[in-house]
Amino acid sequence: MSELSSPAGTIYDRGYRHYEGPREGRGRRVRAIAAAGVRRVLGLKRNWKTKVVPFALLVLAFGPVFAFIGARVLVGEAVGEFLGYGRYLRIVAGLLLLFAATAGPELLCPDRRQNVLALIFTRPVTRADYLVAKLAALLAVVGLIALVPLVVLFIGNTLTADSAATYLRQNLDDLGRILVAGTVLTVFYSVVALAAASLTDRRAVATAGLLGVFLGTSALANILFFTARFEGRRWVAFLSLGSLPGRFVDWLFGEGFDPGTLADQAGFTGPGYLVAMAAVAAVAGAVLTWRVLRLRA
Amino acid sequence: MLVAEVEGLSKRYGTVQALDRVDVAIEPGCTGLVGSNGAGKSTLIKLLLGLLAPDQGRANVLGHDVAADPLAVRARVGYLPEGACLPTDVTAADFVAFMAQLGGLPPRPARERAAEVCYQVGLDEERYRAIGGFSTGMQQRVKLAVALVHDPRLLLLDEPTDGMDPQGREDMLDLIARVRGELGIDVLVSTHLLGDVERVCDRVVMVHGGHVLAQGSIAEVAGTTEPGFGIQLAGNGPEVLAALAAAGLEVRPSGDDLLVQGSSDLVRDVAAERGWPLRRMVPRAPSLEETFLRLQAAQGGPVPPVQPAPPTPEAAWGVRR
Repeated sequence: MSELSSPAGTIYDRGYRHYEGPREGRGRRVRAIAAAGVRRVLGLKRNWKTKVVPFALLVLAFGPVFAFIGARVLVGEAVGEFLGYGRYLRIVAGLLLLFAATAGPELLCPDRRQNVLALIFTRPVTRADYLVAKLAALLAVVGLIALVPLVVLFIGNTLTADSAATYLRQNLDDLGRILVAGTVLTVFYSVVALAAASLTDRRAVATAGLLGVFLGTSALANILFFTARFEGRRWVAFLSLGSLPGRFVDWLFGEGFDPGTLADQAGFTGPGYLVAMAAVAAVAGAVLTWRVLRLRA
Repeated sequence: MLVAEVEGLSKRYGTVQALDRVDVAIEPGCTGLVGSNGAGKSTLIKLLLGLLAPDQGRANVLGHDVAADPLAVRARVGYLPEGACLPTDVTAADFVAFMAQLGGLPPRPARERAAEVCYQVGLDEERYRAIGGFSTGMQQRVKLAVALVHDPRLLLLDEPTDGMDPQGREDMLDLIARVRGELGIDVLVSTHLLGDVERVCDRVVMVHGGHVLAQGSIAEVAGTTEPGFGIQLAGNGPEVLAALAAAGLEVRPSGDDLLVQGSSDLVRDVAAERGWPLRRMVPRAPSLEETFLRLQAAQGGPVPPVQPAPPTPEAAWGVRR
């Protein structure tokens, strides 16, 4: 007969215990809200339907880059040139608008519609903490599309070049442009999308409203410019909110505007469009701050 | 030491005076905040949390001035709000852990403690399901877990049994009793159900129309009302009330009975003089309900009454203990 040398089981006390561990400060609370926001936008820890749109956009943004780098690895430089960084970023700008228009409302609207603020603001969380955290979450996910694919493409081009050092030396300016353009587009789309989301607690309304304003102002600007005759009509180029980022990117990468377009005929250059984006972002930021600081628990 | 104290607190919403120079002292233990809908209970709780700014007066919670340091108060207080306030497409475990982090816990302890607290409130395997599929009772448990997860020193529970079925209500009251009894956390329960207060609280604050009607231990407050009789005399109609009042009795409707305070001989005499059949006459011990109705009537004005406790599950299903 064998002798029992160890207990057959263990009894755990699952009674309530007070928490004696460390408590962290404001930074933890902001990071917690931001991390929850990133998970929410990407549909992580939620059902599969919420993952479709964000991951489809991520595939569209990253897919061509990885495909091109893979071809370069297999075939070498004979595969030819990828679209220029500027051209690709212009395409990505369209995805960014779609992504921000869905992600911004996803971050702000449900908290109000489901009255979750009644719990969040009963913790030591200020409205400013909440605003900073939500903005950080959107900047992170929009930045993921605006910056990372092109940085990956740049690294891929460098590593698959015949001489990585030569490629890096000759194209370092492009890396700077990628970082500047990606950052500008990330901030612009994030602030504007959150401002739109702060105006309603319905996600669909915020998304449709933002897309409607961006596409509608572009159409309006073109109609006014090409059909109306009035003094200073070239200034309507700045009305076209949906076109501002693309024009700035074209200028930054030296692509030039397509002949015959409003941008080509209006005669403004990149800095003008950058200032216009800054003005729009400032107004949107003011609206966003005003709305969030007045949120009621 | 008092858990919370308010002095001369007033709050007005437009033309409605929600609270009018209220003085309240909350002592350690479980305190019931009782009043009919619109009495000012939720406003008082939100003022204690610093979610609303008072028009005048001051509040002190756990030694912190609420106006000067609301974040310090909220770090030490757990709050269960009234009504729906939970995200629908997040699991209970994830949401409670998230709220633990907002209470300052690092991520790993937050997850561990969320699991523990969910278990304590009766959400074991269910905590991995999305909250949107939960019953009202389970959602109330999630809210209680959220209120408890950062280990507060004081719980503010706003209508914790609201919308729950009899069994769920019993379970929630058991949980509240455990929170105070086993966990040693002070509790302020806002409710319009006097039976809930009598069941779990040792002290009570009665509010009505923005004023405090009474506060103290339940025995003290209930003891301010004299014993009386519940009677059914003829049809208990207006002429009966008038006749009893004319005889010098204090009388008011209470459920199917008339509650009468004064000499039982006078009731008998009125019945005999008018030839009204006296179908029922039973002594009524002082209760919170009687006290509240008396104080409310003394305050004046037509008001919706607070409700006695809904039936227990046994009563609801016709089961004898």
